Amino acid sequence: MNIELRNVRFSYGPVQALDGVTLQIGEGACGLLGPNGAGKSTLLKILLGFLRPSLGDGLVLGHDILKDSFGIRRVVGYMPEDDCFIPGLDAVAFTAHFGELSGMPRAEAMKRAHDVLYYVGLGEARYRLLETYSAGMKQRLKLAQALVHDPKILFLDEPTANLDPQGRTEILELISDITSKKDLHVLISSHILTDIEQTCTSLVILNKGKVAAQGDLAALREVRFSLYEMKVVGESGAFLEALRRRECRVETTEDGVIKVYLPQTVERRDLFGLAGDAGVQVRHFVKSRTSLEDLFARTVGVD
Amino acid sequence: MAIAERGYMHWQGTLGTGRRPWRVIAGQAVRLAWKRKYFKLVLFGALVPAVVFLAGIYISERMEDFKEMFKGAESFLQTNPAYFQAYYGSSFLIFMMLMIMVGSGAGLISDDLRHNALPLYFSRPLRKRDYIGGKFASLAFFLLLLTLAPGVLFIMFKLIFSGSFKFLADYPWLPFSFVGWSVFLSSFFSLYTLLLSSLGRNRRYASIMILAVYFLSTVFFGIFYGIFREPAFCLLSIEMNLRQLSAAFMGAKPQFDVPWVYSFLVLSGIMLVSILVLRKKIRGTEVIR
Repeated sequence: MNIELRNVRFSYGPVQALDGVTLQIGEGACGLLGPNGAGKSTLLKILLGFLRPSLGDGLVLGHDILKDSFGIRRVVGYMPEDDCFIPGLDAVAFTAHFGELSGMPRAEAMKRAHDVLYYVGLGEARYRLLETYSAGMKQRLKLAQALVHDPKILFLDEPTANLDPQGRTEILELISDITSKKDLHVLISSHILTDIEQTCTSLVILNKGKVAAQGDLAALREVRFSLYEMKVVGESGAFLEALRRRECRVETTEDGVIKVYLPQTVERRDLFGLAGDAGVQVRHFVKSRTSLEDLFARTVGVD
Repeated sequence: MAIAERGYMHWQGTLGTGRRPWRVIAGQAVRLAWKRKYFKLVLFGALVPAVVFLAGIYISERMEDFKEMFKGAESFLQTNPAYFQAYYGSSFLIFMMLMIMVGSGAGLISDDLRHNALPLYFSRPLRKRDYIGGKFASLAFFLLLLTLAPGVLFIMFKLIFSGSFKFLADYPWLPFSFVGWSVFLSSFFSLYTLLLSSLGRNRRYASIMILAVYFLSTVFFGIFYGIFREPAFCLLSIEMNLRQLSAAFMGAKPQFDVPWVYSFLVLSGIMLVSILVLRKKIRGTEVIR
């Protein structure tokens, strides 16, 4: 496991930000999902050693989060959510500066800064003052400084925030390229579901400071929620009511498709029984792939 | 093939663990200050008094040659502790040091706060003391250029032009005074600047504060001293405290009849408060309560 946390608790005064978080994150790209205030950024800060949990412990690539934050920071690249730069510097000096601070020799840091700036698409603008950069360029710059010391794992906090669709696509392509390297792992904190869906293979969903779901993204979709799409002929009101009484979540679309989320206590053949009892005919029935949006909505309990 | 098209490439090196991050931060801050508009002008302007006093040392050793030119100025041109006190306690030097602090120090922390750079710094293997130490060292570098460097040159010039070690035999403690005062003065001003820079997110606000606190303290001293004629009010003024202490370091007579220890305590107190505030203000991340 790259990251393991056991019963981690943290509070900002009276506000409990993380409440007994236990999780394991393996290789590849992992998404950290949750609504605002779920504890995503707090979790990243604890993993980096910025904040000390009041209870619990954990490891990041074998480094103890309580005792070896320097060890963690050597192997982690961190891309914060907010715009971060040092005024008066150009991108090369800025990126090399943070490479040096990570322990790279000055000449090597300069050379590597050029490489990563070209990689993130800032090659032509690398000698421009950072104050003149657009929002998209600043996002790329943050990614460059996170990559400069060649970390083993990247923590990306809202990597596509404030980007236009084109910029967002380009950043996601970069992340996908990075995650294609087997030995560079990525933890992406975001509340943009499609970003996670596009780049990640595993997922942790936080809600109100607790882990609401975690695991392989495909398995989570399959196992936890069964979604079926149906079309029926006849008066469907009684049928829908019967489904709701069995604790199924029901949605109807404009073209008459009924989406039914089955809880684990209800089997699919029960649907036909309920349809017969309500006097409707089932004309269309397929198992639908659960989208991340569905999974997220069900897990955190929002529509 | 362009690098971006080649995909992500690993770095074939090893990260050093024995490096001193404060030196990296100090080096970057010095380079940034050096790039600033007018900074070089201010720095070279600040070195003018040192050049004048060096010329004074030369002239004092060649008084026969300059007899006509400096008639009546012989007493000033005697290179004794009072001569050096005139340099180290001069209002011009201190004013130029303030300008250096405004130019190179006002934004040292406030800019990082404004542009959220602290999480980037502290996501590296970096302690709070490395960060503060690096910023401190960059300021101290420029201030020592105006204090310690001229002090070393004063002694070297005196020895070279006099051709003997009599000066050192007469005042064996003077080199230590130069070093001690330069280090104290530079440390005080560096911490004073960092303190005011850390109080806000705006470098202009910090610049105004650096000048305002310094000059207002002297204005208050002037008002109270004018009314009560009590020399102890000199302890209210940063400038007067610095002059009292520089006189003590140089073995010269202080301007006010107040023990120099009090000035030392006042200035040391400001330095201590600065360190405590800096430790509190500099955090790796903003914690919202």
